Amino acid sequence: MKKQLIELRVNGRPRELAVEPSKLLLETLRQDLQLTGSKRGCDDSSCGACTVLIDGVPMLSCTLLAASCEGQEITTVEGVSEHGALAAIQKAYGDWGGAQCGFCTPGFMMTVKHLLATTANPSEAEIREALSSNLCRCTGYSQMYQAIKAAIEAEQKGMDSLSQQVAK
Amino acid sequence: MVELRSTGKPRAAVRTWTSFMTDFSIIGKPIAMVDAAEKTTGAGKYTDDLSLPGMLIGKILHSPHPHARIKRIDTSRAQKLNDVIAVVVGADAPNPYGILPVGHDEHALAIDKVRYIGDNLACVVAVSEATAEAALELVEVEYEILPAYFDPEESMKAESNLIHDNKPHNLEKDYHHTFGDPDKGFAQSDYVTESRYLANEVTHAAMEPHSTLASFDIDSQTGQAGRLTVWSSTQVPYYLQHKLSLVLDMPMSQIRVIKPLVGGGFGGKSEVIPLEIIAAVAARKAKAPVKITYTREEVFWAHRGRPRTIIDLKTGVKNDGRITAVKARVVQDGGAYCSYGVVTILYSGALLGALYDIPNIHYDGYRVLTNKPACGAMRGHGTVNVRFAFESQLDEIAGRLQIDPAEIRRRNLLKPPCITVNGLRVQSYGLPECIDKIVERSGWKSRKGKMPKSRGLGIACSHYVSGAANSIIRSDMPHSTVNIKIDRDGGVVVYTGASEIGQGSDTMTAQVAAETLGCALSRIKIVAADTDLTPIDIGSYSSRVTFMAGNATMRAAQEVKKQIASAAAKKMNCAPEDLVFRDDSVFKQSTDHVGAGLRPAQEEQNSASVSGRVEGQILRGSLQQKRKDEGPKDSMSFEEAVVATIDFHGALTGTGSYAPPLEARGGKHKGGGVGPSPAYSYSAQVAEVSVDEDTGEVTVHKVWAAHDCGRALNPVSVEGQIIGSVWMGMGQALTEEMVWKDGLLMNPGLLEYRSPSSVESPEIEPIIVESIDPEGPFGAKECSEGSLAATIPAIANAIYDAVGIRLRESPFTPERVLAALRAKKNAKTLDMTEGVDPTAPVRLREHGGALWFKGKGPERHELDPARRTEGG
Amino acid sequence: MSLADFKLLRPRTLDEAISLLAPQAGEGARATRVIAGGTDLIPSMRQKLFEPEYVLDIRQIAELKGIRETEQGTEIGALTTLSCIERSSVLKQHYPVLVEAAKTVASPVIRNMATLGGNICLDTRCLWYNQSLTWRKSCGFCIKKDGDLCHVAAGGKKCWAAFSGDTPAALLCLEAEIELAGPQGTRRLPLNDFYTGEGDSYRRLQLNELLTRIILPKATADLSGTYRKLRIRGSIDYPLAGVAITLKCLNGHIESGRIALTAVNPAPVLVKKASEVLQGKRLDEELAELVGDLAAKTAKPLTTSALTPEYRREMIRVFTKRALLALAN
Repeated sequence: MKKQLIELRVNGRPRELAVEPSKLLLETLRQDLQLTGSKRGCDDSSCGACTVLIDGVPMLSCTLLAASCEGQEITTVEGVSEHGALAAIQKAYGDWGGAQCGFCTPGFMMTVKHLLATTANPSEAEIREALSSNLCRCTGYSQMYQAIKAAIEAEQKGMDSLSQQVAK
Repeated sequence: MVELRSTGKPRAAVRTWTSFMTDFSIIGKPIAMVDAAEKTTGAGKYTDDLSLPGMLIGKILHSPHPHARIKRIDTSRAQKLNDVIAVVVGADAPNPYGILPVGHDEHALAIDKVRYIGDNLACVVAVSEATAEAALELVEVEYEILPAYFDPEESMKAESNLIHDNKPHNLEKDYHHTFGDPDKGFAQSDYVTESRYLANEVTHAAMEPHSTLASFDIDSQTGQAGRLTVWSSTQVPYYLQHKLSLVLDMPMSQIRVIKPLVGGGFGGKSEVIPLEIIAAVAARKAKAPVKITYTREEVFWAHRGRPRTIIDLKTGVKNDGRITAVKARVVQDGGAYCSYGVVTILYSGALLGALYDIPNIHYDGYRVLTNKPACGAMRGHGTVNVRFAFESQLDEIAGRLQIDPAEIRRRNLLKPPCITVNGLRVQSYGLPECIDKIVERSGWKSRKGKMPKSRGLGIACSHYVSGAANSIIRSDMPHSTVNIKIDRDGGVVVYTGASEIGQGSDTMTAQVAAETLGCALSRIKIVAADTDLTPIDIGSYSSRVTFMAGNATMRAAQEVKKQIASAAAKKMNCAPEDLVFRDDSVFKQSTDHVGAGLRPAQEEQNSASVSGRVEGQILRGSLQQKRKDEGPKDSMSFEEAVVATIDFHGALTGTGSYAPPLEARGGKHKGGGVGPSPAYSYSAQVAEVSVDEDTGEVTVHKVWAAHDCGRALNPVSVEGQIIGSVWMGMGQALTEEMVWKDGLLMNPGLLEYRSPSSVESPEIEPIIVESIDPEGPFGAKECSEGSLAATIPAIANAIYDAVGIRLRESPFTPERVLAALRAKKNAKTLDMTEGVDPTAPVRLREHGGALWFKGKGPERHELDPARRTEGG
Repeated sequence: MSLADFKLLRPRTLDEAISLLAPQAGEGARATRVIAGGTDLIPSMRQKLFEPEYVLDIRQIAELKGIRETEQGTEIGALTTLSCIERSSVLKQHYPVLVEAAKTVASPVIRNMATLGGNICLDTRCLWYNQSLTWRKSCGFCIKKDGDLCHVAAGGKKCWAAFSGDTPAALLCLEAEIELAGPQGTRRLPLNDFYTGEGDSYRRLQLNELLTRIILPKATADLSGTYRKLRIRGSIDYPLAGVAITLKCLNGHIESGRIALTAVNPAPVLVKKASEVLQGKRLDEELAELVGDLAAKTAKPLTTSALTPEYRREMIRVFTKRALLALAN
């Protein structure tokens, strides 16, 4: 099939690409843009390793056609770290054992980023619910809960010190 | 044995580990894995993330038949398709291979026969995945269908149409072991019980599907294809190098295997998987780099998981609960190839020992070939299913004798150091502490027997090897070797063949090296698992890395440390033995440690001392400093000491290796090489469950898991490994099962295989017990596998405690539980089990299918056992 | 597993969509497929269950999104995601059974993509059908796709693939109507009439038609209701059995009650007798038991998914009884 020219916005930057209409967003990210952070773990839309944010909402990039995403803001795991440093959630996942083999981690980063953006102080039940779109085979999820709590705490501390600075 | 510390459960986001100060600065600290940032940012590369210029994609054609002779294979139509570069078939790589020297029964691509649905027939290499897939449809294969075997007990009766011609009765291997005098033991017992247990098949389901990229260099001298480089998702790069050499007829020196990040293994990548060989053969034929990445369905066909196992177990005990004898008959449904099968069936028998004191053991083990994907090694290799049976039976015995289930385990403890009746040497033994801890934490004494209706507590124990004492390839070579190079910049490069697969291998290596050298962790750079650069290490399996590669790392570090000490001692005018290496400096033992520049713990882990101020260049203002420099020094920075050493020696490198001691290598009986380990980890667990008596649904509320890991080198990692093992055991106990119908896998995907999601995953409280092993690095043993086996029986025993049904078949799916509940109540029976009482599985289910599966399925050959069953 | 090639059509309005669909509807395996959330279609296309010449991507059609209260009741655009339905305060207040059912679908991320229209149009599922091309070749093709026999019911000529959407059971209890748009204009029909009861040709949707709106009548607003789903995991899984119930009670007596089942038949079905039996009665254990038995008799599960048919039918009985008693309290 002939390729079509499309324009995607990925991690804040416009990218012009020629893709087949049948190409999935995941394949486009990985093969055409070399953004290999998003992973393919299954073929039946069940594992969540390919999760990206579309206009801020987590979705499965293996279940979206690339050409369908024109005009939408796509955020991948590569767009999570801030100014060359780890975001609080990334640091916390490292510190608390939230990532072991790391293959599912990019997907979790995206769902957790969305959780933290939409729920100020999630309960353990809310965290479990939010994580239930992504499968992990190493951690049994437990250490992720600790990481998420630590990240929330770190972010709140960061906010506090920021507001103190502003006050001064 | 002394339990030095336990970490508790960190509920708040503040580490609680700091309360356990040890003499170490890096060991025992909960540090982030050295590759954590690569993983959380997505920057780290797994094999499928790699690409090379001109790289082609390979796709494999799989057999649609469980057992058939290949009469003709015609690839010409596929070859003619546009953008197809090559089609590879069995004849392109006819040499057989297999992970075990006794099991070279596989070919890269089938030569004369296919032996399971999913067996590999041909590989198309094309410029795109879509083209390769389209070309697969054009490969023509003509088959002569053969009768197939799906049930191991049926398969053992086979006289003809054998799966492998050299394996009569489709018996891969059988062992018959007698230790002590079992007959006498049973005669002396007051109570004997005997049951059949059935554990259905499970698989690793690591999140990363297997992937391999292979590429040939062009040799400058000959101008022809020369060396081969293979990047692969493997736990065993050196075995892969060896098998590639066998199949491709190339010297090992011409093959380089590189292991990028690996997205989980659990044993599924601990042997050579067909795509790894096929990619190399395809790259040779296509004359271009070739990448093959399995679909999830192909991962299920590659399998090598835990075999469906039938265990007939008999235990004799005295009235006080002391075990007098154990007899086990174990039949494993091994699939179509040997894989690790011979080792699996031996582990199943050997690991009856070394947990409790059992004076008399009889073991009959049968590893049987069937026309299904090969089973192999999976987390808790060989011990898990038998442990399920044993711990369930022990619970039953405790109930019968009215002994507390925790107490009956205490009454059967080993008294180490000792050698068990089947030749296993046990030194460190934290099991008693593990039992004490979980009894205490779970409130066992006050809660057991007083739980609300339909809620219960169950206890079970398990253990595992810290690496096999004997390599699968018999030789005297070390199991691990590590090189260390330190240069004038003070950077420490550790070259290790050990394979990081997410368990923390690289982090462990960095911690052991930094602690031994007393230098900052940030100085350590790990170069791992690249056969060109790193010395041989046999791989990440049987939980051997911390113990063996850890010891090798420590020895390499000690060797360079010795050299540094001798140079530094000269500068400090003292004996090398008087020097202490710590906190990134070297100082005299008598020196006040604090004065020698000990910094707060956090800083000391993360930063090396200021670089660039080497001996002779330090010019500081203060007189005191000047005086110090003039006379012999009391301390030097690590970097200064390194520079002094290099000035003196000319280079600073060291090598360390590890081979298990002779005393730990086991008995002399046939098969006695499998089971022995330099050290065993121990686990005890309590599970709390509730059962919905109307639906049969089991909810696990909490598991307390105490694990003796010798010493926790990195508590956050150790806890992660314990939790992960318990959680995976829970999956096997409740939801995971490979469902077969006539050799066809009904659930070859993550949607239907059902590994647990976060919602139903229980709280797991890991409790670290440290027995400080005399031979482990800093006393450490394994922590990644041993806890899995206890979880299944702990849950089974808890279900019994909750509702009084004894489940002897895993997984405990709602319908199995409900059927058993109905049977117990004599209520309206539910025919969900094809007439077989799930509480007493006395015969095998129809041709290995799960009991719930009643679809009629395809008709195959007239001799197909499934068809005969239907007719009768 | 790559998708077979197709041409992608991306209309921005409903009219444009209809005008694109009509001439290019195609037929059979090559018939145009409509993609909204894609959570059902894309995995199926990977498995080569569909190889359409055209795919009509309706994600951009704004007029098909959203929830509106009207004189007649509440209208939900077919493209409204299940997440939106979960969060909708209007629906939470007036049609709680739908919200509850929507919340159980797959996983949160999938609900961000999946639409209500898609859940209604969901293809029927069967272990012998939802498999890769290689798998199906190995097994032998079945009635639903490329073959002429049924692996589930030996010798049978009827397809028993189970309808596996969660929300339609709730919608049946709410007497929902749906609106279909085609080149001849729009037509409305009760959701109950949308399904055929056949596993293969499971819905009454012309190839040139689109499902545009779901209408919840005023009459069924504010009913108490609940949805129970049998699944093995707490997330991700399709239902293995599902029961939706709505009740209207007055002074402890049931004025009206409706029970619908899903995932146990080739269509979501109302338990017709249940309404008669419940009407005017006071709900007690005995009545709940009786209605549970009626529901179980309506369920006709076969070996289309994990868990035995017997168990799934039994759970219909248990869930119905439990849900009724829970609602009564």
